[in-house]
Amino acid sequence: MEACPGGGQWLDAHYDPVACVNTFSSCVALADLSGDGENRLVVGDVGGSGGMKLKVFGGTALLSDSSLLDLPAGLAAFFMDLHEPRIPAVAVASGPSVYVYKNLRPYFKFTLPGSEVNVLEQDVWQQVREGHIDHVTLKEMLESIRKQADVPLSVRSLHFLSLDAAATDEFVQLHKQQPIRRQTVITCIATLKKSTADEDGVSCLVIGTESSDVYILDPEAFIILSKMSLPDAPSMMDVTGQFDVEFRITVACRNGNIYILRRDSDKPKYCIELSAHPVGLVRVGKNVVVGCMDESLQAFTQKGKKLWSVVLPAPVTTMASMDLPTRGFQAVLVGLANCEVHLYRDKNLLSTIKTPDAISSICFGRYGREDGTLIMTTKSGGLIVKILKRTAAFEDRDGAHGPPPAQSIRLNVPKKTKLYVDQTLRERDCGAAMHRAFQMDLSRLRLAATKAYVKALESSLTPMSSSLTEPLKMNAVVQGLGPSFKLTLNVQNTAACRPVMNLAISFLYDESLYRMRNPYMRIPLLVPGLVYPVETFVECTSDKGISDIIKVFVLHEGRSVPLLTAHINMPVSEGVTLN
Amino acid sequence: MEVTMDPLFLAWSYFRRRKLQQCSDICTKILQDNPYDQAAWSLKTRALTEMVYIDEVEVDQEGIAEMMLDESSIAQVARPGTSLRLPGTSQGGGPTPAVRPVTQSGRPITGFVRPSTQSGRPGTMEQAIKTPRTASTARPVTSASGRFIRLGTVSVHESASMLTNPDGPFINLSRLNLAKYSQKPSLSRTLFEFIFHHENDVKNALDLAAQATEHAQFKDWWWKVQLGKCYYRLGLYREAEKQFRSALNHQAVVDTYLYLAKVYQRLDQPITALSLFKQGLDQFPGEVTLLTGIARIHEEMNNIASATEYYKDVLKQDNTHVEAIACIGSNHFYTDQPEIALRFYRRLLQMGVYNCQLYNNLGLCCFYAQQYDMTLSSFERAMALVSSDEEQADVWYNIGQVAVGIGDLALAYQCFKLALAFNNDHAEAYNNLAVLELRKGRIEQSKAFLQTAASLAPHMYEPHFNLSILYEKIGDLQNSYTAAQKSEDAFPEHVDTQQLLKQLRQHFAVL
Repeated sequence: MEACPGGGQWLDAHYDPVACVNTFSSCVALADLSGDGENRLVVGDVGGSGGMKLKVFGGTALLSDSSLLDLPAGLAAFFMDLHEPRIPAVAVASGPSVYVYKNLRPYFKFTLPGSEVNVLEQDVWQQVREGHIDHVTLKEMLESIRKQADVPLSVRSLHFLSLDAAATDEFVQLHKQQPIRRQTVITCIATLKKSTADEDGVSCLVIGTESSDVYILDPEAFIILSKMSLPDAPSMMDVTGQFDVEFRITVACRNGNIYILRRDSDKPKYCIELSAHPVGLVRVGKNVVVGCMDESLQAFTQKGKKLWSVVLPAPVTTMASMDLPTRGFQAVLVGLANCEVHLYRDKNLLSTIKTPDAISSICFGRYGREDGTLIMTTKSGGLIVKILKRTAAFEDRDGAHGPPPAQSIRLNVPKKTKLYVDQTLRERDCGAAMHRAFQMDLSRLRLAATKAYVKALESSLTPMSSSLTEPLKMNAVVQGLGPSFKLTLNVQNTAACRPVMNLAISFLYDESLYRMRNPYMRIPLLVPGLVYPVETFVECTSDKGISDIIKVFVLHEGRSVPLLTAHINMPVSEGVTLN
Repeated sequence: MEVTMDPLFLAWSYFRRRKLQQCSDICTKILQDNPYDQAAWSLKTRALTEMVYIDEVEVDQEGIAEMMLDESSIAQVARPGTSLRLPGTSQGGGPTPAVRPVTQSGRPITGFVRPSTQSGRPGTMEQAIKTPRTASTARPVTSASGRFIRLGTVSVHESASMLTNPDGPFINLSRLNLAKYSQKPSLSRTLFEFIFHHENDVKNALDLAAQATEHAQFKDWWWKVQLGKCYYRLGLYREAEKQFRSALNHQAVVDTYLYLAKVYQRLDQPITALSLFKQGLDQFPGEVTLLTGIARIHEEMNNIASATEYYKDVLKQDNTHVEAIACIGSNHFYTDQPEIALRFYRRLLQMGVYNCQLYNNLGLCCFYAQQYDMTLSSFERAMALVSSDEEQADVWYNIGQVAVGIGDLALAYQCFKLALAFNNDHAEAYNNLAVLELRKGRIEQSKAFLQTAASLAPHMYEPHFNLSILYEKIGDLQNSYTAAQKSEDAFPEHVDTQQLLKQLRQHFAVL
């Protein structure tokens, strides 16, 4: 157990670093699947190494493992009827359907109703079927429909548009006979008690879809009881209340807003506009706590009033609520990317749990026969189970901090030496003379620098040219151990928008030492801002272990004065040519 | 009748006066008359050896093959403070890269250029073959001052083939009966040194040494050291270690300690090398070379504070030690006490070190210690003493720094451009020029210069950081972020980079 504060409140029950569970908080649930009073962990595994699976863990063992047809988007355990024994069903949302499992056997599949299809698109495909138009026209017409129409195209048309010209024919032959359907997919799923607030009361399924709708399903007949629409596609959802009485659905959408839906209207009642995209959404009592991408944790009332905001030390990976009704304790668990899990009650950090890896899903509840169990899965597929100690007590730490610790660190300022003091005395005494000497030297130096500069400019010694018509820059890289070297000249046009053309490169070198593959090269047109690497090979012909300078000139055609010059210090050739 | 001196005596006298060529000529004549004159033969081998002799302890530059194809390192990620290969494992409050420039391997530059301080250990093959490998092209910036004093005899390996006698080799190794010579202790030693240093034929030298040590019944420490040297040259470090250790058991010699420490450094065991030096110091208290060795290891492990302590110990023993003075001086310069650094560099000047680098350093120290009247004249002297284009570039670069300091940006611009004209790979000059161009509002040019600086010196954080700021200003946040990340890699503690990154992350997170 770590010595960190808060680490002492948890017992390490189980840690399997190679459990191969790749999942997210939305695909994890705890439920008593066999009716024996022991809760199991149900996980919709999104795969990764293996395939997509529905896994059930009991104790420390994997109890069952069945394949899923499609990537799970969400998972919920709920009571769908009043039969005894009270065994909950598991609903797995994937693609456009909800698969309901009872006793871990497939029981029912509910598919969302298809959406409205664009009439024009239907017409076009009808004409294709009758052979009136060819594929090229089809493609053009679909393109125009895609641009103009307010009803989006079906998946089939979109797929067709993305195909190469060669593959279109086959695709059309294969699919033209089938009618067009437009199917949305499920993005999130939750449960809502039907009429009683009991723990084992019958629940409805609440489904959020890509088409920005929220459906409420009847648990027995699987008919849509209610449909509500949102301004954008929902990504996370939290539901409270009963369907027959009053309920509230808090939905975080992809546009970065949170909407609150109520029983009486099919439009959102309140809207919370966040400063950054939400990563996790948890309801605590009547408030909503949201973890955002800007490394903050924010709380809002049901009506959208902001209560508080805390800055976190790292990005949020996942969130869950920690609810212990027996102790009347409610808090938020926040999984962070720096391998920590923080427990917050209101804005106070209660405890920190260190994990061996960043966690990807987190879930707190009854597991086995233990009420306070924390189950986490890590990014690398590990499974961690921790149990809350019965004696654990969480105390709000004082939120107010003293001065930051950096304030008491002394800066390492070197002491003023006696020498320094002496020098300042000298400065004070003969300041004027020093100044005069400096100014005189400075003028001389300026002159010398300007002379050297003019000389460098006149003979274009610099590796960059600042002329207005051809602002160029070049640097050379030598690679190799010898005797063969590769010479790469990176030429760049530094003008804002004007290209440079008609340039050539030539070299000046000691022919007794080096042999160059092509000592004269034409440079293509130089587009501004891009680096053009020009490569050639140099062979060192001497075995004396000496090296020389190779000069590179960039020339403009028809002018003898080079635009710029680069000097390459050739390395000593370390390789010896085999005889 | 003219009395002629005995030619052998004359040759011996020439040898002692280090007129080696004359000595060798006379010996050649004696040998023509009497090919079996062992004294003349031995003297000639010694003379020829002395011509190309270099101190094995000092000159040691790892080749690319040794650096990249290293088999002796076991743990890929060493614990901090136990390896020479890990840059940035600073333990003792050294100055940050913001104050003291770093070399390509991420260590603060030293005040004294040694073969091993030049380029460090490149991370990738790409970097390794791009790194300039000649002593004059690796840029030690300007604090080089003692290079010419110690590395006077350069050419290491290639020299043997260039300096052999025009009319056939003096000794034909392939026809030499090594077994015979190994029996004669008076001849075998000079012959060994000749083979090792002059002919550079380590294999034959090893054969000779092995037979000689056998003849000496494994009791002669000298032959064991020579064996160790041969093994070291051949890259058999563990065998070399065994020989040196065994030699130390017979006789403690400073040289042997130094060789053994060199083996440990090559094996990347600086801690063992340090403890070995300490053992050596117990035997030879106050030995300068051992103290210097300790200081160098501390310096290479980024522990500048204790390195300086040891250099001070060196100076207590030998107050004319150039390396120690230069290193302490540069350390004072970079820890914000230029007036003390000035004292040290003046001491070097008094000792007769008279080169461009020293005046360069003096000029900078004068400027930062506010002794303005001597600043520019120092640079003028440095300019007059320039011996290569790189030095010229460094002088212009430093004048450019002074010009920036006094606010004369036009002069600074010219100076940086001149620095680039003399040394096209001067990344610092590119960086500073880019900043000046940016102030003039020429964004394209500035960007191009910064990109060049970043590609020339990926270990410097400044070009990356400047590029990041530039991109951020023109609204290219993605590129800004990438550049800031590179800057963070080069200098993780840089606060401004951290702030910029934080700001950018916020930008990305906000809706």
